[in-house]
Amino acid sequence: MSPSSKELIKYPFYLIVHPFNGYWELKYERSNKWNVIISFVILFLLALTNILHSQYAGFLVNIYNPKEMNSLMEFLYVIVPVLFWCIANWSLTTLMDGEGKFVEIFNSTCFALIPLVVINFPWIWLSNVVALEETTFYYFSSSFAVIWFVFLLFVGNMTVHQYTPLKTIFTMLLTLLAIGFMAFLCLLFFSLVQQIISFISVIYQEMVMRG
Amino acid sequence: MTSNRKRKLVIMLVLSVALLLSPITGTATVQAEGASNSYNYSFWGNTVVSPDAYDATKLLTGHNLGVGSLKDPSDLHVTADGHIYVLDSGNNRIIVLDDKFKLLHIIDSFEHAGQQDTFASPQGIFVTEHNQLYIADTGNKRVVHLDEQRQLVQIVDSPQSELLQANFEFKPVRVVVDKANRIYVMATGVFDGFMEFNANGEFTTFIGANRVNVDPLEYLWKTLSTREQRSQMVQFTPTEFTNLDINDEGFIYATNGDQWGDNIKKLNAQGTDILRREGYFNPTGDIRYRVTDGPSRMIDIDVTDSEIYSVLDSKRGRIFTYNGDGHLMYVFGGLGNQLGKFTTPVAIERVGDQMLVLDKALGEITVFETTAYGRTLNEAVRSYYRGDEEAAFQRYLETINMNANLEFAYSGIGKALLRQGNYGEAMKYFKESYDNKGYSKAFLLHRKEILRSYFPTIMTILVTLLLAIFVWRKVRKWKGGKKIVTIE
Repeated sequence: MSPSSKELIKYPFYLIVHPFNGYWELKYERSNKWNVIISFVILFLLALTNILHSQYAGFLVNIYNPKEMNSLMEFLYVIVPVLFWCIANWSLTTLMDGEGKFVEIFNSTCFALIPLVVINFPWIWLSNVVALEETTFYYFSSSFAVIWFVFLLFVGNMTVHQYTPLKTIFTMLLTLLAIGFMAFLCLLFFSLVQQIISFISVIYQEMVMRG
Repeated sequence: MTSNRKRKLVIMLVLSVALLLSPITGTATVQAEGASNSYNYSFWGNTVVSPDAYDATKLLTGHNLGVGSLKDPSDLHVTADGHIYVLDSGNNRIIVLDDKFKLLHIIDSFEHAGQQDTFASPQGIFVTEHNQLYIADTGNKRVVHLDEQRQLVQIVDSPQSELLQANFEFKPVRVVVDKANRIYVMATGVFDGFMEFNANGEFTTFIGANRVNVDPLEYLWKTLSTREQRSQMVQFTPTEFTNLDINDEGFIYATNGDQWGDNIKKLNAQGTDILRREGYFNPTGDIRYRVTDGPSRMIDIDVTDSEIYSVLDSKRGRIFTYNGDGHLMYVFGGLGNQLGKFTTPVAIERVGDQMLVLDKALGEITVFETTAYGRTLNEAVRSYYRGDEEAAFQRYLETINMNANLEFAYSGIGKALLRQGNYGEAMKYFKESYDNKGYSKAFLLHRKEILRSYFPTIMTILVTLLLAIFVWRKVRKWKGGKKIVTIE
C-alpha cells in the first residue's frame, strides 16, 4: 500500500516538529521503501541548496571564489559525511546493543537534515536584500538550523537504537571518533594504492624502454 | 608546403596591419600591457600579473658622480627641497647631491672643541626640514648634530638612565628627528624599542618595543630542559627593529626582522602601533613564497605623502609600496645583475616620484622612474587621500583600464560613485573589489531608493487589497445572513 502523495510531503515536516513521535513512526509504522526514497530526496535537496547558495546567495554572506565552485563536489560534500556517519554509527551500535538496522540509521540521519534545507533555502534569496548589520539574522538562523539538526540527530539515534539519552550522547561522540579513524584508514588505503599503481607503472615503463 | 607558406603570408599580413594600426591605437593601455613584468596579489591570495609601476632608468656610481667609488654606503636621505644625502660609511663621509644628481659637496669632518673631528663608519643619517644634519656615528658611539652651516651643535653620547644597564654600550645605527627636535635612535643590542632623546640630547625613554614571539617547539624544549641547559640556550628576546622613517605628521614608520608577526609598524608618540591593515592581506611583503625561502625580511622603509609607504625586502630585493589603508599598490626590483636589480639593497628613498635604491656591496644607487601606470595609480591614491573624489574617480578608472587585476581600485571607484549618488553602480564596483562594508553602505541607500520609488504603488495595492477583503467579507456576511433568513 503506497501512501498518498500529500501524506508523503506532510510526514517529514511532522517529524521535524514532533521528533519523538515522528521517529517512532519512522522505525515501527512506516514502509522503509518510501522512507528511503524520501531520504534520497532530502539528500538531493540539501546538495541543491548548497549549490544554489554558493551561486546565488547575497554577496555579504557569500564571498565565494567562482573558480573553486564545483557542483559535483557539493554533492559529494553532502553524501560522503552522511555515509561516513551512518557506517560508523552502524558499526558501533551493532556492538553496543543498538536495535537499529542500517537502513533505519540512514533514514533517521537524512530526516534530521531537513531543517538545513528548510531554513537555509529561503535565505538564499533573502540574503540578497539584507545589509551588513542585518546579516546577524542570517547567521542566527543558520546556527539555529544546525542546532535543530543536531537535536533531531540525537532523537533519531535514541529512538532507532532504543538507547537512553546518556548512552546516545556517548555513542554519538564515539561515532565522531570512528569517523576520524575511517577517514585515516581511507587516506592510508588511497595513498598505498596510489603507490602500488605508480610502482607498477614504473616497472611497466622500464620494461617497455628496455625492450 | 604551400599551406605552410600561405599561413606565413597571412601572419605577415596580420602583423603588418597591426603595425600600421598601432600608432593610431597606441594609447597608454597598449604600453602598459607590453610591460606586464610585475605582480600583485588578488583577494584570493593568488599572484596576478600587473604592469610595471617603476622602471630603472639610471645607475649612479661614485665614479660617475666624481667622488671616487663608494665603500659600503649604508643610508640615504632626501630632504624636501630634493637634496640627496648619501652616507658613504666605508669612506666616513657624506655626499650631498641635488635633485639632478649633481654633486653639491662632501662632508667628511666637522670642528669639535677646536679640532677637526671625523666619523667612524657611520650607519644612519637624517636631515630635518631646517637642514639640521643628524648622523648616527656608530664607530664613535655617538649621534652628531650639525647645523645648516655644518657647524657642530651637539653630540649625543653615553646616555644615562636607570632604564639602561650599567655596562650599556651606545651603538646608534639609524636616527630620525621629529618636528619638536626629539631624536629617535635605533641602536644595536637594544630590544626595548627606539631610544628617545629630547632636544637637549638627554635620554628620556624607550618607545615601541616589539613583542616577544615564542616558537612553540622551542618553548617545549626549554620547559623540558634543566636550568643549566637553559642557561646555554638562546634567550627569548623581542626582535630588533631594522629601520625607521618619520612622516610629516610625526608618526614613526618602522620595520623589524619578525618572521611571523607584523613586520611593518606605524608608531604614535606613545609607541603604539597604529598602522591600518585594511587591505586584503596585512602589509608584510610577499605572501606567497617557497617554504625554504621564507617570508620577506624588511630592512628599510620610506614614507611619503598621502600615507603611501614603501618597504625594502632584503631577501628578494623587492620594494613593496602600500597605501594608507594597507593595500599593496605595486612591487618592483629584485635580485640580479641587470639594471633595476640589486645585489645587497640596504636603503630606499623617494625624490619626488623617483625612487632611489642604494646597493651596499656594489656602492651604487639605482634610480627608478614611474611609468604611466605608476603615475596614474599614485595620483589616484593621492587624490583620494586629499578628498578629491572626482579626480580619484577618473584616475582609478584609468588605472583599472591599464590593470584590471588591481582589485582595490574598484573600491575607490565605488566610493566616488557612492558619493555621486549612483548607488547601483557603486554596488557593482564594491563587489568587484570584495569590499563588503562599502557594498553594504551602497546597498542600504540603493534599497531605500527603490522602496521609496515603489512606495506609492505598494501602498495603493495594499489599500485596495484591504478594501477588497473588507467588501468581500461584508458581501459574504450579507449573503450568508440572507441564506440563514431563507432557511428560517
